[in-house]
Amino acid sequence: MAPIAVGDSIPDGTLAYFDEQDQLQSVSIHSLAAGKKVILFAVPGAFTPTCSMKHVPGFIDRADELKSKGVDEILCISVNDPFVMKAWAKTYPDNKHVKFLADGSASYTKALGLELDLSEKGLGTRSRRFALLVEDLKVKVANVEAGGEFTVSSAEVILKAL
Amino acid sequence: MAMAAAATSASFALAKLLSSPKIKQPISLLAPHKKTNSIFSSSASFTPFPLKFHHSKPLNFSTTGAPKISATISSGDKLPDATLSYFDSSDELKTVSVSELTTNKKAILFAVPGAFTPTCSQKHLPGFVEKAGELKAKGMDTIACISVNDAFVMKAWKKDLNIGDEVLLLSDGNGDFTKAIGCELDLSDKPIGLGVRSRRYAMYVEDGVVKILNLEEGGAFNVSSAEDMLKAL
Repeated sequence: MAPIAVGDSIPDGTLAYFDEQDQLQSVSIHSLAAGKKVILFAVPGAFTPTCSMKHVPGFIDRADELKSKGVDEILCISVNDPFVMKAWAKTYPDNKHVKFLADGSASYTKALGLELDLSEKGLGTRSRRFALLVEDLKVKVANVEAGGEFTVSSAEVILKAL
Repeated sequence: MAMAAAATSASFALAKLLSSPKIKQPISLLAPHKKTNSIFSSSASFTPFPLKFHHSKPLNFSTTGAPKISATISSGDKLPDATLSYFDSSDELKTVSVSELTTNKKAILFAVPGAFTPTCSQKHLPGFVEKAGELKAKGMDTIACISVNDAFVMKAWKKDLNIGDEVLLLSDGNGDFTKAIGCELDLSDKPIGLGVRSRRYAMYVEDGVVKILNLEEGGAFNVSSAEDMLKAL
């Protein structure tokens, strides 16, 4: 799959998460994004330094601002299972708006063409770091990092684009 | 006798694979580093970008050659070598080989399907932490928990359960060791997205040779607890 780009429609896919009652749920991306303005951002790994200390907190801290600019959903995806995503989400007790979704088998990440082979690091297939602004399923902004950096995919950059 | 049977079936499996016409893409369960099922045949494979972790020199996990197709390990077998990883007490990413863990030592190795999953977190691992003292009193040099999770997740899990040095939490990130001993559990088709993991097991290994193996079906928790190991030692 070629990497998703501005102007493309995002594919549908199913991601998993644990709800407040600790029940495993699966959700279709389209059901979350159709007719709405959503930010979809991804990290290579839960509990990894940059992801945990910069990328995610950036979106958590800016969530209110993003919402005030019309963003309906802020979705964080990682190729981790939902148990791990749940444990990771718990380390952000102040989080109000960011939803942590598990793409455990990397199927959605691959559908976006944004997978990253980190087998040499013992991480298997993961997601590239990216942030997409999607309006009614159409990609308006696609900020994909080339490697493991953290430059264009931050909340600040997306905020400027809104 | 069991060893001969295991060796025979291993060589059968290997022979079968070698005789099949196109071995370029082995069946997805045993394909290296892939956690997905085979319907995702998209071949886009990015060359690994140099990902900079804070702590480490680039670690190389790649095994040479094709993945080993293995019959399930049994008592009496010598453990294959493999590299496992973990974060040490100064937060440095380290690797340790199975042979370092087991050569000339008495070791308990147990595996869980997933860090942060209920049975693993609430029963299996805590059981070993609790019994670590008793196991060490019986002469165990090492008690290690292995999971097909990355080292970051294992570190977070260790912290979450407040585990110190009693039990090592080791990452079999690409599942290489798990596959080498034929203990993989393919959970790829489950909607939950767990990919290929390890079956639950506990084994007592003496100088690299499996002496006692308690292997569960899938993620069941019947024979692989710390108590079971203590009784068997």
